[in-house]
Amino acid sequence: MAAVQHTFKPYPSLSLLPSSQSTFCGTKFITSVQYKRKVCQPKGALNVMASSKKILVMGGTRFIGIFLSRLLVEEGHQVTLFTRGKAPVTQPLPGESDEAYNAFKSKILHLKGDRKDYDFVRSSLAAEGFDVVYDINGREAEEVEPIIDALPNLEQYIYCSSAGVYLKSDLLPHREIDAVDPKSRHKGKLETESLLESKGVNYTSIRPVYIYGPLNYNPVEEWFFHRLKAGRPIPIPNSGLQITQLGHVKDLATAFIKVLGNAKASKQVYNISGDRYVTFDGLARACAKAGGFPEPELIHYNPKEFDFGKKKAFPFRDQHFFASVEKAKEELGIVPEYSLVEGLTDSYNLDFGRGTFRKAADFTTDDIILGKSLVLS
Amino acid sequence: MATLLSSCSSSSLLSTNYLSPPSLSPNLSQSLSFSSTCFLSSSISLSQRLSLSSCSSRTYSLSPFTVKAAAAVSEKKKVLIVNTNSGGHAVIGFYFAKELLGSGHDVTVFTLGDETSDKMKKPPFSRFSEIVEGGGKTVWGDVGAIGTVLDGLKFDVVLDNNGKDLDTVKPVADWAKSSGAEQFLFISSAGIYKPTEEPPHVEGDTVKADAGHVAVEKYISEVFENWASFRPQYMIGSGNNKDCEEWFFDRIVRGRPVPIPGSGMQLTNISHVKDLSSMLTKAVENPTAASGIIFNCVSDRAVTLDGIAKLCAKAAGLPVEIVHYDPKSIGSDAKKAFPFRNMHFYAEPRAAKDLLGWKSSTNLPEDLKERYEEYVKIGRDKKDIKFDIDDKILESLKVSVAV
Repeated sequence: MAAVQHTFKPYPSLSLLPSSQSTFCGTKFITSVQYKRKVCQPKGALNVMASSKKILVMGGTRFIGIFLSRLLVEEGHQVTLFTRGKAPVTQPLPGESDEAYNAFKSKILHLKGDRKDYDFVRSSLAAEGFDVVYDINGREAEEVEPIIDALPNLEQYIYCSSAGVYLKSDLLPHREIDAVDPKSRHKGKLETESLLESKGVNYTSIRPVYIYGPLNYNPVEEWFFHRLKAGRPIPIPNSGLQITQLGHVKDLATAFIKVLGNAKASKQVYNISGDRYVTFDGLARACAKAGGFPEPELIHYNPKEFDFGKKKAFPFRDQHFFASVEKAKEELGIVPEYSLVEGLTDSYNLDFGRGTFRKAADFTTDDIILGKSLVLS
Repeated sequence: MATLLSSCSSSSLLSTNYLSPPSLSPNLSQSLSFSSTCFLSSSISLSQRLSLSSCSSRTYSLSPFTVKAAAAVSEKKKVLIVNTNSGGHAVIGFYFAKELLGSGHDVTVFTLGDETSDKMKKPPFSRFSEIVEGGGKTVWGDVGAIGTVLDGLKFDVVLDNNGKDLDTVKPVADWAKSSGAEQFLFISSAGIYKPTEEPPHVEGDTVKADAGHVAVEKYISEVFENWASFRPQYMIGSGNNKDCEEWFFDRIVRGRPVPIPGSGMQLTNISHVKDLSSMLTKAVENPTAASGIIFNCVSDRAVTLDGIAKLCAKAAGLPVEIVHYDPKSIGSDAKKAFPFRNMHFYAEPRAAKDLLGWKSSTNLPEDLKERYEEYVKIGRDKKDIKFDIDDKILESLKVSVAV
């Protein structure tokens, strides 16, 4: 069987015509020739494992894991996905060739269960034995205990945490050494990191900021695309100068691969995201560029003047929120491939632009904002 | 991470420029180049350098491999610092001189103008005895007369911390070249970056074509084999010639509201000047690694305008009342009303970290405490200060309905 190469690297095209090439995960459509950053990755940039590992992925069928599991299979590991089976265990990616999909599908294994059923987790994992666990969907520390107990010879526990754990600060960007907020919405992630540390497990914790890319189930870029497609103005809270940061899911998956079996990553925490930040206003414009939409009309409003009930009027925290990704770069050589517009274009071309999305458009809060005459200029 | 041991016959750079000087030509000039550098210390790594022409805003990205700057084996250098006689950058030369002297280098500071001028009564010039005590020399003159003042002298390194355009820097650069200086360093400005919606400003990003500093960077890149440009933002530190944090202390200590234009969310970068001086020193001691490079000469943390006010208040142990206003409402006074740009203005020191192994040591909360202590020590808290523009702003806020 021919080896099918799944690669995330956007190979630069130097032709003057927009060209599309079939890479893994579909078409990399280069919309602008203005420049192409050429990053030459030496051979073996991805960790070439000396041996194939038996890997368990908690989750893996929804977003990050879909990309991560493909890379793991490609690297020659034996990959098992632990899910309840709500989402299909495998699904072809937009633009993925049948050959590539079948090669992947034939190798991936599924362990069906509820990770909150701790007895089942303990027994099934102990029976199987795994070398490495990727915990992509863990939220609470107690979910991790049965996994660690069941796998005493575990080589590495790789955890998807969140930059949401950082304590809000006037000094930015957030760095891995900064104070964390034990009261944050993400305290479960913090408690998990602490548990891993205290249990002496060889763990690596990854803290993404906002993740985006094709198949995103969190309406990040999708929120903007809906409005751009509908030709609606984009309502942005307050000044629109708030700075946030997006990281492409494929870069995140690549980062997860790079920490695998990496001794330097032992018991370390890494921020993983794009290497540029962006203002809310800038993000709206970047989404427009990505989808080939005209420059959008931005409406700024004071959220305090409205009552949106339970609905969220904007998909981002109304504050500066960004993290430095230098540590991963300096220590592990992890450098994101996608620039913001490139990444949003990839997401648009492979997902929203094909007519797919996770949440239907809901302009209720927009209409509340637009209906009132009191808007900030 | 792959490492390459190259034969240590010479430290050879196979590539030329890491980042070409800000060029305005629309054609793409990219070159992928590899460089291997051999140091006496043990960390040897393959590094790759991207050369980009900055005709549009683009992502600066380094390969994962970084050059580890050489460890302490560095020869004694003869360094000339051409220093401005006023303004925010004046203090850079002062710290740099002292740091170089502390590291055993030979330092001459050539300050613009006249030793007897009133400008020399202000810090850092009023403290130049510290340079002399450290073994450095201090001279004065105009840039046009530099050849006369320094007649017969030769320096390994020349830093121009004075000029903002070709008129003022060319005489220095030309003289430095003709007198055999090997490395030319220039204090430019991060203010030349074009505003962006994707901060931070990273070395290689588009700059304003008509900026004087841009012309200088281009010129020195053509004249010198080994040149480097340093783009600073705002700085604090004892001996500063221009107010920075003092503007906040003036108001906080008198219980006056602090008027901040816009939302107060604007990000900026305030570094302790010792960060700038340490970066410059690294460049002097690692000339090969620094050659042909533009460095953002800043700390590695941003702070919001509201944030600075709060940190200053905290440092003083006093409360602060921040009021926001629309700068348009006060017309032409807006520029003088506030000491920082009313926009995101945030650069990151990526080149210095990647190529020189430089680390930032600025710790604003702690640094501001020291600054406040000095502020009180010199009695500035008791000084009689007029707040005319502030009063105008506060008045205008009372008149219109508060938003």
